[in-house]
Formats: sequence, structure tokens, C-alpha cells
Amino acid sequence: MSSNHSAAGEEARRHKVEGPRKHIVAFVLSLALTLIAFAAVASGEINSQFTYIILIGMALVQVFVQLAFWMHMKDRGHLFPIMGIIFGVIVVFTMVIMASYWVWW
Amino acid sequence: MSAHDHADGHLPHEPEKATLEGRNKVLGFWLFLGAETVLFGTLFSAFLALRHNTGDGPTSQELFELPMVFAATMILLFSSLMSVFAVQAMHKNKVKPMLGWLLVTILLGLGFLGLEVYEFLNYIDEGHKMPTSAFSSSFYTLVGFHGAHVAFGILWIGLLILQVLKKGLTVVTAPKIYVSAIYWHFIDVVWVFIFTVVYLMGKVG
Repeated sequence: MSSNHSAAGEEARRHKVEGPRKHIVAFVLSLALTLIAFAAVASGEINSQFTYIILIGMALVQVFVQLAFWMHMKDRGHLFPIMGIIFGVIVVFTMVIMASYWVWW
Repeated sequence: MSAHDHADGHLPHEPEKATLEGRNKVLGFWLFLGAETVLFGTLFSAFLALRHNTGDGPTSQELFELPMVFAATMILLFSSLMSVFAVQAMHKNKVKPMLGWLLVTILLGLGFLGLEVYEFLNYIDEGHKMPTSAFSSSFYTLVGFHGAHVAFGILWIGLLILQVLKKGLTVVTAPKIYVSAIYWHFIDVVWVFIFTVVYLMGKVG
């Protein structure tokens, strides 16, 4: 943090306010991913195994988009937030796998 | 006031990161979100383990109606976009538009909450109550916990609106707005998993 203090001051002078374009793109992406997920289930055409894969895939991509753009994780200086969330996700995946496979094995 | 104002009377760029306190607040909030991820993870894992144990109660295929879930999803997604606009207005130091976006954010949040209450009441009419089955208990715990987070967010952002009206946008209030927007996005992120894992996967079976 302290090492790039002067660099941050530099950037503040050149700083341009971020426009809404990227966020609108993130919104449209989220909307499209949601629609695909709902359509995959509503159509009832696709077999359930493949639907599961589509659903989980769409959810993961949408969460990545929202974390990166709306929650600013793509921005500079977000190492600790990324570490915090990754740690949480590791614990969650362990628990989900444990609960859904191990408990009823 | 004067201690927090910039030398030329303007807010610095990105006022939420202008002070050490503000930066620490954002960092601390992310650690909290890591813990929240674990909290919701435990509820999700319990739901995933128990979702087929419906006992005598209705199953997820009989219960869930996709149009209602889709409406709730859209409301929350739009609400999340509104809080993006609020933070952008804050970065441009436009206080009134920022308050307007925040107000729309919590109004949409209230709409979502109303829809959820209506949905739960419908389920209770269909005999899907908290003690009906392991599926119903884990369902209400998970989705209800998310609803409680929405309710808390509405209360929090509502109080922040009042505080900004009273104290104005300063380097003290700006980090709070920023952090509440991150919280609101996090609620939307959790909902992405809820509509996927609970409703859509429940409908598939």
C-alpha cells in the first residue's frame, strides 16, 4: 500500500471518472446468462444431466462477471478481497461436496 | 465538517479510498463477505443434502413456479444495477442523483421482499411449512436467510440516505455508501446461486 502512495497521487491527477459502459455490459451479460438458465429449464427439452451443467456454468460465469465489474474486483489493489473470497469459496466447496456426497454415501 | 473537506472544498476522487479509515473499512468488509460466503455455503450444503427428503410434503417440482422466481430475479438484478449507478453518481460528486438511485435500489429491494413474502404464504397454503420435511426446513432457512439479508440491506441503505441528507457526502459517509453497494451486489450474487440451485435445479429434479 505505502509503496505505491506517490503513484496513487499521480493517478489521481490523471484520473478520469469511470463511465457506466462497462457496468451496462455486465448487466446485459447477467441478464443474458439468467435468461439462458431459465430457458434451459422452462423448455424442458434438454435432459436433466445436461441442464445441471448449463445451470451451474451460467451461475459461475454470472457471479464472476458481477464480482469483477460490480464489486470492483478487477480494479487495482483488490488482492485481499480476492484472497478473502477465494478462502470462503474453498470452504464452501468442501462443505457442499461433503454434504451432498459423503452424508448420503 | 472542515476537517473532512478537501482543501479546495471539493471531495477527492474516489472519496471512499481517500482516508485510511475508508480503505480499512472496505478491506474489513471484504473479510466479512468471506465469512458470509462460508455462512451461506453451510446453508447451501445443508439444502443440497436434504432437498430430496420431502417426506409427506410437496416436492420442489410441485411447488416452484418459474415466472414468480424470474420476476424476483429481475427485480434484484435491476436493483443491483441501480446501486452501481448510485456509486457512479457518488464518484462524480452528484449527491442528489446518488440519493435518487439509492432510493430506487431500496424500493426494488422492498418489491423483492414483498414478492418473497407472497411466495412463502402461497407455499404455506400448499402445506409446505417450516416443520413439514427436511426439504422445507432447509429451504426456508436458506431462502429466508437471504431474505433477511435483503431486509437488513434495505434498513441499512435507508439509514445511509438519511445520514447523507443530514451530513452531506464526505470522506466519512462515502465509504459507507461504497460498502453498502458491495453488500447489495453480494446479496444479488447469493441470489444467483439460490435461483440456480434451489429453484431451477429443483424444477429439473
